[in-house]
Amino acid sequence: MGINWGPIPNADNLYRHSVSPPSFTGKKFRHAKFWKLFDCADNSVVASVAWERYVPTTALVHKYGCRLASERNAKKRDAGTFVEKDRQIYCGAYRLTAHAVRQLVGTEGLEEVSHADVVHDIENEISHVSLKVFFNSGITDREGTKTVIMDRLWSASSGPLIHICSGDQETVPHPNTTLEDGPAGVCCDTRSCLGRILDLVRFQIHNWIWEKFYRE
Amino acid sequence: MAVIVHDSDNASGSMADVSIANSAGNFHYVIKGTSSAVGQVIDAEPMSDNFVLTTTFSSLPIISRSELAQEYKELGAALAEMTALDEGEELQIERPVFEAASSIAFELMKRSFPPPEVFTHGPKSVVFDWSNARNNLYLTISADKMSALISTPERIKRRMEYSLKEFLNPSGIFLAIRAAYAEQPVALIEKAGSSPTEEPSAAVG
Repeated sequence: MGINWGPIPNADNLYRHSVSPPSFTGKKFRHAKFWKLFDCADNSVVASVAWERYVPTTALVHKYGCRLASERNAKKRDAGTFVEKDRQIYCGAYRLTAHAVRQLVGTEGLEEVSHADVVHDIENEISHVSLKVFFNSGITDREGTKTVIMDRLWSASSGPLIHICSGDQETVPHPNTTLEDGPAGVCCDTRSCLGRILDLVRFQIHNWIWEKFYRE
Repeated sequence: MAVIVHDSDNASGSMADVSIANSAGNFHYVIKGTSSAVGQVIDAEPMSDNFVLTTTFSSLPIISRSELAQEYKELGAALAEMTALDEGEELQIERPVFEAASSIAFELMKRSFPPPEVFTHGPKSVVFDWSNARNNLYLTISADKMSALISTPERIKRRMEYSLKEFLNPSGIFLAIRAAYAEQPVALIEKAGSSPTEEPSAAVG
């Protein structure tokens, strides 16, 4: 997308959005499905998260999640495959740091990982980040290793930040009632008031530039 | 309450049998355990049904064998549905994965493991999941191997990997998994004279 905003600092927060039904079995949230990893041709697995730098407020985090569910529903409607009972509903977000992802490398009991990183990868969303984990060549238990990676990512997740999108107010009971507490605790905003303001100003400027000159 | 103490004089290899009669004399329990097993506490009230005590991981609920079988039957049906999905669909699994998972589910049912939650990474594996806020046990089942992960939020405690050839003798495998998850030797308890279903396809899916 023509912009390189630089590497994501270790201390920066990333948000993973929980959407029903993909993160659920029936009406119950399942953390194992929440951290679903997809195979890539380059001997890695990938998952999507949002960078707090470009969703600097909780409201923006949730707007991203609501758009995610809404766009998936719209795509199915366009394809003629939309079914009301399988309507995607955004429930809330969990948070982890870039450092938590990178330290998968060297985790005791997870020797199969050669490299793990989070890369700013704008895919129609300025805050989109690809979380990539690469396996060692010659790995013998790829599927079992994926389970371990999922388990460690969940263990590093804090939250949830629960939300109901405006179009889901009538959904009762809302699936967000079954979201589990993240093992890493609650999400606390440790930024100063000035820090939050500066983050918001930076986001507004970068977002304006992207929308005006780069967005397709 | 009764405390079962393993009788090491009857030990045979790593297994030993202990027989007790409950206070009402209605049932005669045969307990098999590892040679260092001690103190599997049970409720010795007389029971009117063919019960098996399930050693779930934080308590000792009592469910009937028929309820356990029904839940595993539902698990098998879910696995069969996943196999029938079109290639590329999110929950689709390959036939050899289904067959491996069904065999393992049968062995789990025989050993009174509570039925797991199920998810997939893709078509090449199924994961059986027993996780709660403090402890997690996952069995990742591929067409030719099974791996076990036991973890807490703080760390990976244990990983074990088995080829399906090693399933010619599954008892030791599942005892090792259960012991690693419980962090203590465990005992299996079956009602004397009962025999588990021998046909996997009839019991699971």
